[in-house]
Amino acid sequence: MNRREFLKRSAQYAAVGAAGLSLPGMIERVYSAEKEPNIVVANGNPGPAARAAVGAFGGMGRFVKPGDKVVIKPNMSFPNPPDWGTTTHPDVVRELTLMCAEAGASSVLVLDNPLRNSELCLVRSGVRKACEDVPQTHVQGLTSKAFYEEIKIPEGKALFSTMVMKKVLEADVLIAAPVAKSHSATGVSLALKGMMGLIYDRKDFHLNLDIDVAVVDLCTVLKPKLTVIDASRILSEGGPGGPGKVIPMDKIIVSRDMVAADSMAVELGTWYGRKFKSRQVKHIQIADQRGLGNMDLSSQTIKEVGA
Amino acid sequence: MRFQRLLQIPLFFFFLFLLWLAAYPLPSWFEVDLFLRLDPLISLGTMAVARAFIPKAAWAFAILGLALFLGRIFCGYLCPMGATIDFWDWLNPKRGKDKGENAFERAGRFRNLKTLLLIGLAGAGVAGISWIFFFSPLSLMTRFYSFVLYPMGLMLANLFLDLLRPLFPHIGLESLSYVRYTVPLFNTNLFVAFLVLSILLLGRIQPRFWCRNLCPAGAVLALFSLRPLFRRAVSEKCTSCGRCVRACPMAAISEDFVKTAHSECITCLKCQEVCPEHAITFKMAVKVPRLSPEIDLNRRKALSAGATGLAAAALTMTNLHHLHGGETPRPLRSSRLIRPPGALPETEFQARCVRCGECVKGCLTNTLQPVWFEAGLSGLWTPKITARLAGCEQGCNLCGQVCPTAAIRPLSLEEKSFAKVGTARIDKSRCIAWEQDKKCLICDEICPYNAIVSQFVPGHPIPVPVIDESRCNGCGYCECKCPVEGESAVVVEPSGELRLALGSYREKARELGLVFHAKGRVQDHTILNRDEREGKEGPEFPAVKEGKKLPPGFTTN
Repeated sequence: MNRREFLKRSAQYAAVGAAGLSLPGMIERVYSAEKEPNIVVANGNPGPAARAAVGAFGGMGRFVKPGDKVVIKPNMSFPNPPDWGTTTHPDVVRELTLMCAEAGASSVLVLDNPLRNSELCLVRSGVRKACEDVPQTHVQGLTSKAFYEEIKIPEGKALFSTMVMKKVLEADVLIAAPVAKSHSATGVSLALKGMMGLIYDRKDFHLNLDIDVAVVDLCTVLKPKLTVIDASRILSEGGPGGPGKVIPMDKIIVSRDMVAADSMAVELGTWYGRKFKSRQVKHIQIADQRGLGNMDLSSQTIKEVGA
Repeated sequence: MRFQRLLQIPLFFFFLFLLWLAAYPLPSWFEVDLFLRLDPLISLGTMAVARAFIPKAAWAFAILGLALFLGRIFCGYLCPMGATIDFWDWLNPKRGKDKGENAFERAGRFRNLKTLLLIGLAGAGVAGISWIFFFSPLSLMTRFYSFVLYPMGLMLANLFLDLLRPLFPHIGLESLSYVRYTVPLFNTNLFVAFLVLSILLLGRIQPRFWCRNLCPAGAVLALFSLRPLFRRAVSEKCTSCGRCVRACPMAAISEDFVKTAHSECITCLKCQEVCPEHAITFKMAVKVPRLSPEIDLNRRKALSAGATGLAAAALTMTNLHHLHGGETPRPLRSSRLIRPPGALPETEFQARCVRCGECVKGCLTNTLQPVWFEAGLSGLWTPKITARLAGCEQGCNLCGQVCPTAAIRPLSLEEKSFAKVGTARIDKSRCIAWEQDKKCLICDEICPYNAIVSQFVPGHPIPVPVIDESRCNGCGYCECKCPVEGESAVVVEPSGELRLALGSYREKARELGLVFHAKGRVQDHTILNRDEREGKEGPEFPAVKEGKKLPPGFTTN
C-alpha cells in the first residue's frame, strides 16, 4: 500500500465511520457505546432470534462485504425432520442466507457433506426448501471427490493434510451454523466438530487419529468468521444421529469465536441429564489450550437479547 | 416414416424414460413398471408359476386380447427388445443376397424353438420353478438398460459436466455446477451385457432372430394371433416381385407372396411400404388364405420340451444351495444373503421374482444387487442387500413399489420400517474399539434405530459397541460405515428377518417385541449393562445415577 492508497482508504473508512455515527438508531447501542460482547445469546423463535443475535454484533454487514462469496456450514447430515434436533433448524439457515444476501454477498452456498444420502438429507432436514427463494443462494450436499481439494494443515498435531471443499477454500466468509447436539464419540457436536462436514474423508478421524486432536487440527485451517449455534432445541442424548431426547431451549448463540460459542452451548445445555463444564469436552479444551479461542466464559462479555 | 416406427420409437423412449423415473422419489402420477407388466410371459407366466392372481400384473390380459384383434403388435410396437434389435439390425444390416430364402416355408429352421422354450418353461413351472426371468424380453431389457447402459450413461454425463463445470457460473447455470451423478455399481453387469450382445449378434444369421425363433413371450402372443381380425391382405395387383418377402423381418410371408403367417406377423407394415404396386394392405379381413401349419409341433417334441423343463427344475431343486423353504434337509443359506424389506418368503419370492432389476436400478442407496448363485441356481439375479456397499434407507420403500409381480410387497413407509431384514453382529476380533481400544463408535453414531449402544465393559478402558437385537432392523448402515478395511467388523446376517406373505409387519414386530422406533423418549443410548437396563423405563440411565461413569466423550475434570 502506498501513501496515496493509504490516504484514500483512510478517507473512505472515516466517511463510513461518520455515516455510522450519524445514524445511531440503526446500530446497536453496545456497538458504539459499550464494549462489544464476546458472545450473544438471543431468545425467541429460531429465525428472528438468529437475526437478533447477529444484529447485536452490528449486523451481517460487519462480516459480509458486498460481492463476497459466503459459505454457510449448517448440520444437514441426517435425513431427519427438524424436531429430532439432529440438523440445524431450517429457519436459522434461511435467516442467515437472507442476511448475507441483504449484505450484498455475490453468492451464498449452504454446504455439507452428509453422512447419509445427500438428496434425502437436504429434503428431510427442510433446509433446501427454506432457502429456495433466497437470491444468490444454493443448498448443496457435496459428496463427490471432484468437489474437494487436498490442503496442508501446518499447525496439525495429528492431522497434517485433508481434502476440503473447493468452494470453502474459494470463499471470502465462512459461517458455522451447527445445531447443538450430543455426540457419542466427542461428547457434543457443535461448531468445532461441525467443520468435519466440510472435508471429504473422515474415516481416519475415527480409525487412526485421536478424534479430539484431529478436530482441533482441522479448525486451525477452517476458521469461521462467525459462529451461529442453533440451540432452539438441543439433542441432549442420542446424538449425533438421534433419535434421542430433545430439550427445547429457544436460544441462538452467536460469537466471532467458535470456541467461546461452543463453550456457551455446552454450559447452557443439559447433556445426558446433567450439567457439564466446557473443559469436560476434550476437543473444546484442546482448542482453548492451542489458542483457537477462549472457552472461559467468566472472562467474557455475554449479552442476552430478545427477538 | 412408417406408421409403425412413429409409434415404436417414441414408445421405446417412453420405456427408457420410465426406467429413468424408477428412482427416489417415485413419481406419483405413473407406475414406472408398466412395461414389465405388459409382457404376457412375465405377468401370466408368473401367475401360473406362483399359483396366484397378481392384480397389478393383470394388464397382460389386455395385451392378449389385443393380439386377438391386431396380432403380435406387442412385438412390433411395444417391446423394447424388438426396438433394440431393430436398431441394431439397422446399424448392422445383414449383407449378401436373399434369394427368396426369407420366405416363411424356407426360413423356419429355428422357428419352433420359441414354442418349445415356452413349453419347457411351463414344465419347470409345474414344479414351481420359474426360469421366466432368463427369457422374458422385458426382463432382459430392463436388466440390460439398468445394469449396463444406465451407469455408463451417468459416467459419460459426469465427464461432460466436469468439462463444462468452469463455464456454468458464467452462463447463468450456477446450480448445474454442483450436479454430479453418483454412478451406481452393479454385480453381474458383464454377464448381462454379454447375454444381450449375443442376442443382438444372432441378427447376423437372421434379422430379428430372437423374436422369430427364441422369444417365449412372442410364442405366447403367437398362440393368440393365429387369426387376428386386422391382418395383411394382398390384392390382385400383386406382380409377385418378391420384395415383400425379402423385406419381412419376421419371415412371415409365404413364397407365394400372398399368404401370411399371422402368428409371426408383427404388423410392422414394411411389406406395405416396399410394395411397388400398393397391393398390400392391412385391414379388417374375414376371409384371407392362411398358411398351415403355422406352429409346426408334434406331440413328441412338445412332450420332450416339457420333460426337459421339468428335469431342469428338478436339477435346480436338488442343488445344495436351493432354498426350498421348510423342508429337510435344511438348505444351506449364505449368511450374507439379505433380502430387501418386504420380500415374500423365499420359495414364493423366487417363484415371483422376474429378475428385471427394476428394484436394483431404483434403489436409493445402490445397496440392492443382483446375485449370482448365492440363492441357488434358480436364484440367479435375485436382489439382495449389500450392506458393505450401502445401507437400506429407512425413509425409502421404493423396491416394493416398483416390483411388477409383488415379489417384494409394496409396503407403506410405516409398514416397511417394521420389515426387519436381518440382525447386525459385531465381530469383536475385528472391531477396533473392542480389540484396539480405539474410540471409534461410528456404528453407534450412524445407527438410525439406536440399536447399537456404547457400553462400558470390564477390561476395556473405553466404551465399546454392543447390539440390542430387538432394536436392530438390519438396515446395514453400521456395516457400510465401519472404518475397518476389507470386511466390516459389524455385519448384518439374516437371522431375525421377517418374511410375511400376508398380514402386517407392524403387528408381527409387536408380537415379537421388536422396537424399531425410538423416536421421542430414549431410554438407553448409553448403558452400563443389560441387567441394569432391563426393567428400566425412565429416561435416566445408570451412569448418571452412579455419578462415576460419564457419558461418552466427556471427561471428569
